[in-house]
Amino acid sequence: MDVASFVLPFLPEVVLLAATLLIFLLDVLHVRRTEIVGALAVAGAAVALLLVVADLRFAPLASLATLPAGRIDAVGSPTALFAFTSLGLVFQGVFLIATLLVSLASVSRPSDERGAPIFFGLLLLATLGMLLVTVAADLIFLLLAVELTSISTYLLVAYTRRDPRSLEAAMKFYIIGALSTTLSFFGASLLYGAYGTTNLYAIRLAAGPVGFPVLVLLGYGFLIAGLAFKATLVPFHAWAVDVYDGAPTDVTAFLAGGSKKVGLFAFFLVFLAPILFVRTVGGGSPFTGAAVGLGPVFQLTLGVLAVLTMTVGNVLALLQKEMKRMLAYSSISQAGYMLIGITVGTAPAIAGATLQIFAHVFMKGAAFLVVGGVAALGIGPLVDDYRGLGTRRPLLSVAFALMLLSLAGVPLTIGFVSKFVLFSAAVQAQGFFVWLAVAGLLNSALSVFYYARVLKVMFFDPAPAAPADRGAVVGASGPSILPAGGLGYGRAVAIGLSAALIVLVGLYPQPVLGAIQLAAQHFVATGA
Amino acid sequence: MVAAFAIVGLAGTRLKRLEWGGWVAVAFSGAALVVGVLIGAGEMLDPGRYTVVQYTWLHLGPAPGVFPNGVSLVVGTLVDPISALMLLVVTVVGFLVMLYSIGYMHHDRGLPRYYAELSLFLAAMSGLVLANNLLEFFLFWELVGVCSYFLIGFYYEKPSAASAAKEAFLVTRVGDVMFLLGIFLYFSRYALAGPAGLGGWAANGFVFTNGNQPFLASSMGGNSTLLTVAGIMILGGAAGKSAQFPLHVWLPDAMEGPTTVSALIHAATMVAAGVYLLAVTSLFLGFTSLDQLVIVAIGGFTTFFAATMAVVHPDIKRVIAYSTISQLGYMVLAVGAGFAMVGLFHLFTHAFFKALLFLAAGSVIHAVGTQDLFKMGGLRKPMRVTAAAFAIGGLALAGIPPFAGFWSKDDILGSLYSELGTHPAYWPFFLLAFAAVFLTAYYIFRAWFLAFSGDGPRDPTLPHAHEGPWVMQVPLVVLSALAVGSGLLIFWPNFDTLLLNGAGAAGIPPVFGTSDLLLSAASVILAAGGIALAWRLWGNGRVFVLAPTSAVAPVRTLLLNRYYFKVGYDWIGTRAVYTVARAADFVDQFVIDGTVHGFERMFAGLSERLRRIQSGLVSDYAAYVVAGLLAVFVLLLLVAPYLIATVGGK
Repeated sequence: MDVASFVLPFLPEVVLLAATLLIFLLDVLHVRRTEIVGALAVAGAAVALLLVVADLRFAPLASLATLPAGRIDAVGSPTALFAFTSLGLVFQGVFLIATLLVSLASVSRPSDERGAPIFFGLLLLATLGMLLVTVAADLIFLLLAVELTSISTYLLVAYTRRDPRSLEAAMKFYIIGALSTTLSFFGASLLYGAYGTTNLYAIRLAAGPVGFPVLVLLGYGFLIAGLAFKATLVPFHAWAVDVYDGAPTDVTAFLAGGSKKVGLFAFFLVFLAPILFVRTVGGGSPFTGAAVGLGPVFQLTLGVLAVLTMTVGNVLALLQKEMKRMLAYSSISQAGYMLIGITVGTAPAIAGATLQIFAHVFMKGAAFLVVGGVAALGIGPLVDDYRGLGTRRPLLSVAFALMLLSLAGVPLTIGFVSKFVLFSAAVQAQGFFVWLAVAGLLNSALSVFYYARVLKVMFFDPAPAAPADRGAVVGASGPSILPAGGLGYGRAVAIGLSAALIVLVGLYPQPVLGAIQLAAQHFVATGA
Repeated sequence: MVAAFAIVGLAGTRLKRLEWGGWVAVAFSGAALVVGVLIGAGEMLDPGRYTVVQYTWLHLGPAPGVFPNGVSLVVGTLVDPISALMLLVVTVVGFLVMLYSIGYMHHDRGLPRYYAELSLFLAAMSGLVLANNLLEFFLFWELVGVCSYFLIGFYYEKPSAASAAKEAFLVTRVGDVMFLLGIFLYFSRYALAGPAGLGGWAANGFVFTNGNQPFLASSMGGNSTLLTVAGIMILGGAAGKSAQFPLHVWLPDAMEGPTTVSALIHAATMVAAGVYLLAVTSLFLGFTSLDQLVIVAIGGFTTFFAATMAVVHPDIKRVIAYSTISQLGYMVLAVGAGFAMVGLFHLFTHAFFKALLFLAAGSVIHAVGTQDLFKMGGLRKPMRVTAAAFAIGGLALAGIPPFAGFWSKDDILGSLYSELGTHPAYWPFFLLAFAAVFLTAYYIFRAWFLAFSGDGPRDPTLPHAHEGPWVMQVPLVVLSALAVGSGLLIFWPNFDTLLLNGAGAAGIPPVFGTSDLLLSAASVILAAGGIALAWRLWGNGRVFVLAPTSAVAPVRTLLLNRYYFKVGYDWIGTRAVYTVARAADFVDQFVIDGTVHGFERMFAGLSERLRRIQSGLVSDYAAYVVAGLLAVFVLLLLVAPYLIATVGGK
């Protein structure tokens, strides 16, 4: 087989892999300064992102009529391990943006910090796994790619090897993750028992399950539980708060902004077929024995999970006193909104969810980057510690405020557009999906309470009596910190870029939205 | 034109560091005034002109089977008779209040913030009235809400101001969520499920265009439940913004903000946005008849309910605030009964005389440094301009001809009266609104007599009163002229046509001149009676103290700090008012506040219980995973098939 034709489609992945290996190689050679490995990671992610964007730009997104060619092969073959879909490309872009922002911000960390190569190397490795998830066409390939991401992130959480909180978080993450992986693979094996294949296209094309039909429900049930771990759906979310809290904040930014979306995309891939393609399970109803359509069963189940997730996440976020934990719960609730997309299963809904996921990188990922930067300034972890930040760090506070407002779905931000597209898609679908939109709206209203509290603390409460200018002290103590108001240029750029995009895309969403909508139409019409 | 307004707001916020930022803001609002008057005049000279400018903001779909052609959301402006009328109100009052602020606010700190926020508010409000679709309308709606929040909390060092700002924000937020739900419901009905040929709606989502007919029953297949619910949701949004029962609680407390803000935002413009929303919805979308009844009920009840509370209040600003709620109730009532243009006419006149009352009150507060009516007295001698202005505003509010309020209020009552034959269900609300005429005249002249009549202040420690600087007096004079003249505009044929065209655009026959002469006479007599009673009780420095009877005393001590003042009532009739007022207050404080606090407690408790689940033990987490797995199985295998089998389909 021609090597070039096999490698070329994977160019972004190859670039990432090369950067990863280079970083680890430099580590062995004792080249460990944050700036150097960080720059390498930034460059790797940036080049990969450019390749993806170029693909998106020149790929046949422009017309639905033309069948995708080249790197994009929307119609998978029933035997292929992977298929390139335009929605997958969009997600690759989202993941790479998250990686780029996090690595950009992390370049600003102290240059002699221990473990910098490990951090950046694992970051890229996890990203590699995420990119592979987006091209998966086979359940086993998909789960293995998810696993590559998971293992890298377990290690990322504990990369400092010092902080007992991080270690504990990593252990929890690992144990629950391993349990979930087991469930996922068990589900896949049950589906194999039902269909005789693990290829997602083949499952879609199969006329019906062979053998015992309840195997299908059981198999997908296990997969829901396994993937819900990654996507932090309630009640599979409990690890997330401790891990988000215990992990180094930049890692948390990556977990919330990037790797968690892997679980959601896996939901898209795995559940699109059973939801869209009407199959009935004979004797599916235990009450009547009548045949029941599979699609509505999954939609109802996922709908319940979505509402549960957003509600529990929001209600718990109300009571948090620590910023990181509050954002962690808010992140859980956002996963509930995103799940609406696949639950409804129409192209507009998937587009809405994808836009929400895209937005979430800038809102939540960047918010964690702000929290990391604020901690580096010597300001405490509690919400109340942010008192008076508005007067002391006006630009940073305004950027943070934009992120929170966008999370709350306030108009003129990207968060409003994404929620609007998502909820209106649910309303369009009629039926019980309208209630999903209603639940989402009510939850959005509820969430305003805790976001507004942070705004109030930042802008209206007076600063604490002893103005914590410890940031300056830290800055004076060594070369570690950091121009650009103590944040470091990289972090300042990452935060500024996110805040700017929140407003820009909020004001003029059409380019991004249009691409996502086309990709979603491809996905629903022809993709897996 | 639109750009001009954007520049006004943005430039206003940019100039905050300048010493003379106030004058800059005045200059910019002056420019806005010129544009507003030009647009208004343009409409008046050529009634029925429509100008639309728009571009596509985002495009949804197309999605096979969901919506075949996709839906575009547009951003744009629509200048039509209604928006021109509103724009005139916003720019005129906005400019006068800006000018007045120069004198009124000069003692305060944080002035750059004040002018920046006020400029931003004016820009947002202009955007709101010019919006050509519901979604854009909603964006500006939120923006004016935020400005209102900031301005109520202007004195944020004062805990009561901060909490009032928060209350206003949260209560209106309830309305906003309902509004958004309403938009979605209309969207799902019209943009998606509507028959072909719905013009702007089907193709463009939420656009108001000339010739959009209300699609109501005829085209949409009867009074569907969905449309009724959508209408109620829109009403909820309007009730939040316009402080209608049961979401009225925030407006009186919003008086913690500077008086200028009360005049502009909480009397003339922003609170009227709710009425404007209802009017626009009724003209472009249409309400079902059940919706109309609910709207009439809410409006009629609020009119009376708020007036009773105004009757007893000792705080000059809060009396006027309750009065605003009550007057907004009249407008809601008119719109609900199908007379959108009549409601907007009252909005138009009310904006001027209510801003006048607030600015006059501000002048008094500026002079004597208190808002307590019972400390004031005899102010007509040192403050002749203010006293006259307040009196003119009061006469307009009370509905004494030829002042502005008479024409518009009379139009509302007359229109409603003409509907009573076909809608007997409107009777009780007509009577409530009619009775409120008496209360209105009474409470506003009670305030006037307490503040201005008599020989001198009841509290001798008050500083010697004096009239404000010219920048404060000029707006009073101009608004006084408008409070007299704006109602007379109805006799100018072009203005009449303007209103006619606004209504005609939607095919609803406007009703003017149906005022029953007898009805008019009755309401004027009623108003005069109210003034006379106020004179009898409070005129010439008199103060009435009602000895608490044993029957009401315990209830009163239980309930009222608000009403437990040196307030007295005449023994005729007033005791009934008193009881009703207290009943109203009971509903206010216990039922509504109680519900709100109940929800608060419920969420706090729920949150606490859920937090205990977060034990931090990894074995617990694993157990949740397994429990969750079982729950998923139960859902997949039992619950979902059962529901689908019984309910059928999705």
